[in-house]
Amino acid sequence: MPFGSAELVHIWLTRRGEMFIICEEMARHLLTDFELMLLLATLRVGDEAYGVEIAREIERTSGRRVLLGAAYAALDRLERNDLVSSTVGSPTPERGGRAKRFFRVTPRGVRAVRETRKALVALWEDLPQLKEKRT
Amino acid sequence: MTKQPPRLALALLSRFVPDDEPLAGDLIEEFEIGRSRAWFWRQAFAAILTRWLTPSDEYRPIVLPRTVNLSASPAGLGVGGLSLVVLASLVTVVMPQAWSIVVLGVAAGVAFGVVLIAIR
Repeated sequence: MPFGSAELVHIWLTRRGEMFIICEEMARHLLTDFELMLLLATLRVGDEAYGVEIAREIERTSGRRVLLGAAYAALDRLERNDLVSSTVGSPTPERGGRAKRFFRVTPRGVRAVRETRKALVALWEDLPQLKEKRT
Repeated sequence: MTKQPPRLALALLSRFVPDDEPLAGDLIEEFEIGRSRAWFWRQAFAAILTRWLTPSDEYRPIVLPRTVNLSASPAGLGVGGLSLVVLASLVTVVMPQAWSIVVLGVAAGVAFGVVLIAIR
């Protein structure tokens, strides 16, 4: 059963500050790369996974710059598809009295990550162009 | 001196991004530890653009019911209105027979306003 059913909007920011907008409209069984990164980063951060920490984890591990608004839009979409759940914490002064929203990957989300990984690995295999040269 | 995050960017986020509190908090947190105003604006702009481009009812900004002063009263009382008083006085003095046209015009204006409110 597809978990992402339509109308995806991705906004990408390159290292030179150029902005790209990609719109997708189709039923999906697999995660997009950004969704996959968000889920993996959320799993890596653990209990303290909120917007800033998730974005930092992606930037630290992949070097990709993250737009927080795009991350929240994707996380909202993942939550609507029951791949993550979220809870709102207490407001803190260093955030201008605003609360954090903590995310957690659901069992369905973990399954989606596994399925996406399986599909990507299957595509990856036996491609001579992608085999790393051994020295 | 503590630097302040751009108020206008926060106001725009609040207006155009529903449930903006966690996002605004994240931006403020990052700004406090050294991100630039340009960074803040870029993030706010991208967040608004993302929500605007996402064709989902859930992301449509919530328009709260509000009072509309159809009589254009500067005091906001909903009655009177300087322009209407002047117009009524002129009609009464200069051309009393035109009152029916004025009443029809006002009624049409009110109906138009009500339709606009219903559409929005």
